[in-house]
Amino acid sequence: MTRAPVPIAVLYSRSGPYAGLGREAVDGLMTAIAEVNADAAYPFRLSPVICDPGGVAETYGAMADATLKATNCRHVVGTITSWSRKEVIPVVERHDALLWYAFPYEGYEANDHVLYFGACPNQHLLPLFAHVVPRFGDRPFLIGSDYIWGWEINRIARECIEAAGGAVLGERYVPLNSVSVDPLIDEIRSRQPDFVLSNLVGPAAQAFVRAYHRLGRSDPAFAPSIRPIVSCNATETDIAEIGAAAEGLIVAAIYFDVLATPENRAFKARLKARHGADRQISGPYASVYSAVSVLAAAIREAGTDAPAAVRAVVTARPFDTPLGRIAVDPKTHHAALRPHIGRARDNGQFEVFESAAAMLPADPYLLDSAPPGGLVDQRMIARSSGHATLLKVVK
Amino acid sequence: MSGQYRPPLASWRAIILHRPHPSADAVLRQLERLRVEARCVWPALEPGDDGVDVVFFDADMGFDGQFPWPAGHAPMPLIALIGSEAPGRVEWALAQGSNAHLLKPVGSTGVYSALLIAAHAFETARAQADDIRSLQDRLRQRPTVVRAVFKLMTEERLDDAAALKQLRALAMDWRLTIEQAAERVCENQARADRSA
Repeated sequence: MTRAPVPIAVLYSRSGPYAGLGREAVDGLMTAIAEVNADAAYPFRLSPVICDPGGVAETYGAMADATLKATNCRHVVGTITSWSRKEVIPVVERHDALLWYAFPYEGYEANDHVLYFGACPNQHLLPLFAHVVPRFGDRPFLIGSDYIWGWEINRIARECIEAAGGAVLGERYVPLNSVSVDPLIDEIRSRQPDFVLSNLVGPAAQAFVRAYHRLGRSDPAFAPSIRPIVSCNATETDIAEIGAAAEGLIVAAIYFDVLATPENRAFKARLKARHGADRQISGPYASVYSAVSVLAAAIREAGTDAPAAVRAVVTARPFDTPLGRIAVDPKTHHAALRPHIGRARDNGQFEVFESAAAMLPADPYLLDSAPPGGLVDQRMIARSSGHATLLKVVK
Repeated sequence: MSGQYRPPLASWRAIILHRPHPSADAVLRQLERLRVEARCVWPALEPGDDGVDVVFFDADMGFDGQFPWPAGHAPMPLIALIGSEAPGRVEWALAQGSNAHLLKPVGSTGVYSALLIAAHAFETARAQADDIRSLQDRLRQRPTVVRAVFKLMTEERLDDAAALKQLRALAMDWRLTIEQAAERVCENQARADRSA
């Protein structure tokens, strides 16, 4: 019997300033699709229509529109930056399609036409600060790429720090296409912060880690064990490319290649056949893989790729993925996720030394987790985890 | 029918401070329909642009220094074009003195009501600022009123209530505010003191 193809629009930039993330995303997507297409239990095949907007935000909307007009795609998997997501949202609304978003972002959005599989600040920044501030201090320096991700994460960071009685020693931005980080290094050296929160994206992120590593070698006061760089968006791909200079970088993520969970062990075993044993799996790869797996399972269960029916299935029960058993909140359309804190070793791999006790529901508007009272507080994680068990009852 | 101020849109000129974008085009099309003369500029207003009647501005990619006036002191109504509802961006738009907003993507509606709301909010804010200024002036003149009352009490052998009543009567006779009347009473005293 021939299995009917279900076309899926894919919008990831494999060229441009954050091409590395786009390549990982497409790899994760293709793996999930290959698994679905090899499995006769699915009465359809997924057929990707892959577009490369080249990292130019304005191109995303037009490409999404052209693809949805020219094909029967009703699902778009893609976008990495919030800027590009905002460009695609009006298009999926117009076509009554569904956007599958799988990257960490700054929150303050909950669209009916989007399913959010990436972490929002209560699932990345707040757990990161809960770990970092008690250990290193409450006087950070905030840096980021010059767009909404950096601006907003740094704003939330500042609110957390100031609510906890600390002080932000500086806040600086680098244009997305720039790798000019030396002025940052000079300023950080003179301000001597307790740690540096980096929301840099792309080549600047790697350039900064390398430059900061050189600073730490010439001045031991900036060794990562004393004043680390911390991040909510650095990935395995970044630290593998940076190599030994990334050692000590502390990262909050919902997936690490080295996670010792049963679901990740099973995932890695399957991937070994596809990529060989050496391939590190990054957070973007695993997140997009998970989103596409949920998409396929939901189409099968709904018996159609009609977005409303698929969305109803996705928000009705949890799905087993390499990220754990994911439930998507029917009100916010955001996945509950389990944050982990990892530290880069000198061999381009992470070690994971802290994980949330349970899946943490997303709080995209920081309504349950907002200051005052100090966001840097394990209690908010405990409170949200209580909520998680309630959510899991939805089966 | 209320006496609400409604702006004469057909004689209005507008600027849309936004990079080239479908939402900026949509605002432009709506303004054309309302016969508001409009154009898009980016990344900043020119010095001569402060004569227009309304400015739409991008809250997403906007940055300090785009306007030729200090933040919060626009000489015309401002309408924020908001894509990201992140508080940092909304607060930045508020700091510019936004009187109304439109959410992006902008379709074929919204501009007319945003214009009315912004014009009303701008006029209300301006009238309130005038009121506050005049109240502050009157507050500043309070010591003069006290001096005048005290003078009338001494000269006319009145108690404080009667002296204040007389000051009010003088203000009405002279068609002045009570503060201006108090000033005149004190000035007469000063003149008398000088000529003594």
